[in-house]
Amino acid sequence: MAGDHITAVIVDDHAAIAAGVRYWCERAEPPIELIDARARMANVWTGPGALADVVIFDLELVPGNPAFGELRRLVDEGRRVVVYSQHAESGTVLKCVNLGALAYLTKTEGPEHLVPAIQAAAAGRAYTGPSLGGVLVADDDPNRPRLSQREVEVLRAWFASSSKELVAAKLKISVKTVDTHIERVRVKYANVGRAARTKSELVTRALHDGLITLADLGDSAS
Amino acid sequence: MADDPRIAIERATRAQLTSRLRVGILATASAGLTLLCLPNIVRGWEHYQPAWVQLVSFTMLAGVLGVEAALVVRGRLWPAAWRWPAVGVVVLAAVLSYSALPHGHAASAGDWVFGEATWVGLVVLLSRPLRVHLAFLGLHWGVALANMLLTTDVDRTTVLRFATGSIGVIGYPLCMAVTAAAFRGIARSAAAAKWETEQVAAAEAAAAESHRRRQQRFADLDLSTMPLLEGLASGRLDPADPAVRRECAVEAARMRRLFAEVDVVPNRLLHELRHCAEVADRKGVLVELDARGQWPDLPLPVRRDLTEAPLTVLATAASWARVTVVGGPDLVSVNVLADCGPLDLPRPAAPGVRLEAFGTGERLWVEVRWQATTSPR
Repeated sequence: MAGDHITAVIVDDHAAIAAGVRYWCERAEPPIELIDARARMANVWTGPGALADVVIFDLELVPGNPAFGELRRLVDEGRRVVVYSQHAESGTVLKCVNLGALAYLTKTEGPEHLVPAIQAAAAGRAYTGPSLGGVLVADDDPNRPRLSQREVEVLRAWFASSSKELVAAKLKISVKTVDTHIERVRVKYANVGRAARTKSELVTRALHDGLITLADLGDSAS
Repeated sequence: MADDPRIAIERATRAQLTSRLRVGILATASAGLTLLCLPNIVRGWEHYQPAWVQLVSFTMLAGVLGVEAALVVRGRLWPAAWRWPAVGVVVLAAVLSYSALPHGHAASAGDWVFGEATWVGLVVLLSRPLRVHLAFLGLHWGVALANMLLTTDVDRTTVLRFATGSIGVIGYPLCMAVTAAAFRGIARSAAAAKWETEQVAAAEAAAAESHRRRQQRFADLDLSTMPLLEGLASGRLDPADPAVRRECAVEAARMRRLFAEVDVVPNRLLHELRHCAEVADRKGVLVELDARGQWPDLPLPVRRDLTEAPLTVLATAASWARVTVVGGPDLVSVNVLADCGPLDLPRPAAPGVRLEAFGTGERLWVEVRWQATTSPR
């Protein structure tokens, strides 16, 4: 990442989506440079797209056939991926998170979530939008990480209100604390999933920031 | 086998109707066997060649009557699978008896099986159509005739004795078979009538139940919708008044929910919420509805409580609303966030349901949460 300048490449088969995202990126503070891969994966691997900090990836380039393989290749290569897709089943969303996508946003979630997601991904951090929060809080997989009561409470409120200020005001905590709780959940998920480069980055970063301690890692690393 | 309820009813009705007739025929056949045939066998004991064959034949017929007695006591008809073997036993008994009958004794007192086998056959075939009886009687008569022709010097006396004997041997059981056939017809129409009566009773019970439910639902509307409609009709309430319009929107949403409650759908709560959201949607409010997780089918009072506050908020929202449901096996949380300003919301009545409202300016965030009262294992 070159200072504050962020570049992102978008793979989406709808021209209107790419144009809309470009508009949001231009108005972001600071502006984000967007490269349109024109729905071709080759443009993500070669040319200017290969150097982009973040990949904005439409999971269903072929409707009904989520491209998990492409997502896995991107993550394995250390690319930072924001999945931007249609409203999807919880299972699909969780799989993306497990494969190492840093964010999963549905297309009903606009610039107020996409821009922060790109910024977070560019910095190697995960971003959890409200719909992903809903998926995580309703996850009933037996292997899911154990979330604290407070984390569940925060995620549920985040899903309900889609505003961190409202969550903070309702639960009488600071916005910073809301963020911390949500990030901790993602670190816990990264911890139980497949070891991927972006994931280990996520965990390392969480350790640095004091979000988690080594003792937390011991829970699921065994 | 008789899975069809109509067939089951018909069998039961027939068994009921023919039970007296069966008892009568069984008594006749048994009395004939013990009071007429047995003394005849004993009397002609030394003439049979050999005599024990008659005893075997006698036992076979007695056995068939024994089975009939057991079935009568239990109020059951002959099972279809047993019937033909039983007829075989009767025919075999007759053939056996004839085989040991001395020369020249056909249709005499010693030919006990000539008169008895038809009654036992009647017992077995009672529920069968008349033509089956005719066939059986014909077969039996044929066997007896063959025996007479083979083992007797056919002269005028013998033929006459056989002919007069045949009248009683064939005639009496045939009368009974005709009676039984008439009973079959009666049983069929009785069963049809009974079936229809049962259908009518079932339809009536269903109608009474749906009427009761409709009245219950009407009573629910009576408390809130009727005063509003009466107020509008009498001019006491002004349709231009925003509060009245808000009330109307809320009542419209309640009615939509009421209609949705009778639908059979996999997720009733979500279905009802969608209907509530549609009322807001029609007013031009941008509604987002998102649900995650899986929860059990909740009882109606709980669903009403979970949708009541969201319904009010949705009906009041000015331009946008976000409705979310997140649930698990023991907790369901319904949230609605909208620009509807502060509202007075009804408190939930069902046990385990809590309401929490949080407002900032025009934004109101309401969470209604159901928690299972008994903790899961």
